[in-house]
Amino acid sequence: MIALVHYRIAAYVRSHRVIQAFLPILLLLSFVFASRAPRGQELAALTDSAVLVIPLLAWAARGLLDTEPDTQRTVSATTVGGPGREVTAGLLAALTVTGAFAALALAFGLLLGLSATPTPTTLTAAAALHGLAALTGTTIGALTSRPILPSPAVSIITLLAAFVAMLLLSASPLSWLTVPVTAWMKAAGNDTLTTDLAALTIPSVLWPLLGLAAYTRLRRTRP
Amino acid sequence: MRLSQLFFRYGRRAPWVLTDVCLTLASGDVVEVSGANGAGKSTLLRLLAGLTPPTRGAIEGRPAVVGFAPDHFPVGQPFTVADYLRHMARIRGGARYEPWAERLGLSPMLGHRLRDLSKGSAHKVGLVQALMAAPGLLILDEPFAGLDAVTRDTLPEIVTEIAARGGIVIASDHQNGLSALPSVRHWSVADGHLTERATPTPSPTVPAPLSSPAAASQAAPSTAVVEVTLPADEAPALIARLRDQGYDVRERTLA
Repeated sequence: MIALVHYRIAAYVRSHRVIQAFLPILLLLSFVFASRAPRGQELAALTDSAVLVIPLLAWAARGLLDTEPDTQRTVSATTVGGPGREVTAGLLAALTVTGAFAALALAFGLLLGLSATPTPTTLTAAAALHGLAALTGTTIGALTSRPILPSPAVSIITLLAAFVAMLLLSASPLSWLTVPVTAWMKAAGNDTLTTDLAALTIPSVLWPLLGLAAYTRLRRTRP
Repeated sequence: MRLSQLFFRYGRRAPWVLTDVCLTLASGDVVEVSGANGAGKSTLLRLLAGLTPPTRGAIEGRPAVVGFAPDHFPVGQPFTVADYLRHMARIRGGARYEPWAERLGLSPMLGHRLRDLSKGSAHKVGLVQALMAAPGLLILDEPFAGLDAVTRDTLPEIVTEIAARGGIVIASDHQNGLSALPSVRHWSVADGHLTERATPTPSPTVPAPLSSPAAASQAAPSTAVVEVTLPADEAPALIARLRDQGYDVRERTLA
């Protein structure tokens, strides 16, 4: 299965689709960290980048999953030993790519976006949020990929709408119904994120896992 | 490998594509599947390959290693032929693609990009990736489409070899490329039903719906080949009528 993960990432990079995600992410980070965050605001700035990069991570995941032609997916499924393994390999490949982009966003912020070196606690919390962003982006990307939403127009609109809905819902009393990204930012702004992180991680992991389970289920009848 | 009361449709309200298919495949079986466009041949192949779960029923005893050669190989991939086959070989756990590329005449094309291949060469790439891992079940969707004469002659030999070592080969084929092989089973898909007619051996069968194991196991009556000469413009109607009645009809043009 690892060989299939490698093949899918190789196809993504060689097809230059990787640049379609890399350049917008670079552009976004340039805006987010246009002026270095003042001392004491390190975690708030890094949290902003973790949240704002989510739709582009979803775009990257969708791009990777859609690189493979539909017929090749069926060939890959027989080659790797079944459709379930093909789906898992695709998700692992997408998570690898979104994880790499999330690490890039974090590194960009640490190197170019802060006035002071963050504390280890701040660094740990920021790394955790970028990891959660990668997981969330992978889930949205998978649920808007071609086997689930064949129409490119519907897919892109759904991807963006999912992110906007997540922002709005997480700012409402129903924030438990989604990944609480607004709560991430509020906690970072109030300097309570390091203490609230454990509680925020539960819905932030639960919803993406449910989304990935739904994707896996849907792919049973959408090979 | 056994298909038990298999039903398939693409959605809850969609029409049935296949209904009540029951059959057994033994090691070494070679099956040629025929049927009109849209009859459900490719769906049947996908079910057999394990790519799509049946709506009802089950498929048991599928060999662990499955090779699947699609009717249209997807050339829209950013690899050369060699890079692509190398990746597929790694996914197969280190299978060797070179002997198959050599045998199918693909070696001179290994350095070419997939998107630059002709239809026939692309089709050979699909065949090589399916063959390289010694599959216990080989599914070929229109395997002869676009192939050159040499490869058309080679493919039945390869199928015979796979069957001889116990592999099952199932091919959807409009061109009857495997018909020269002895003991080929012939399946026909029409109106959601799968029927089997026996090979032209001493005790073949007339079309019998494979709707139950009992029906499938009934002794088959003998058959005969009838040659009909008629005006060319009347042939399509007669052929359609006979096929509607379940007969296997092949058209021959007199020189």
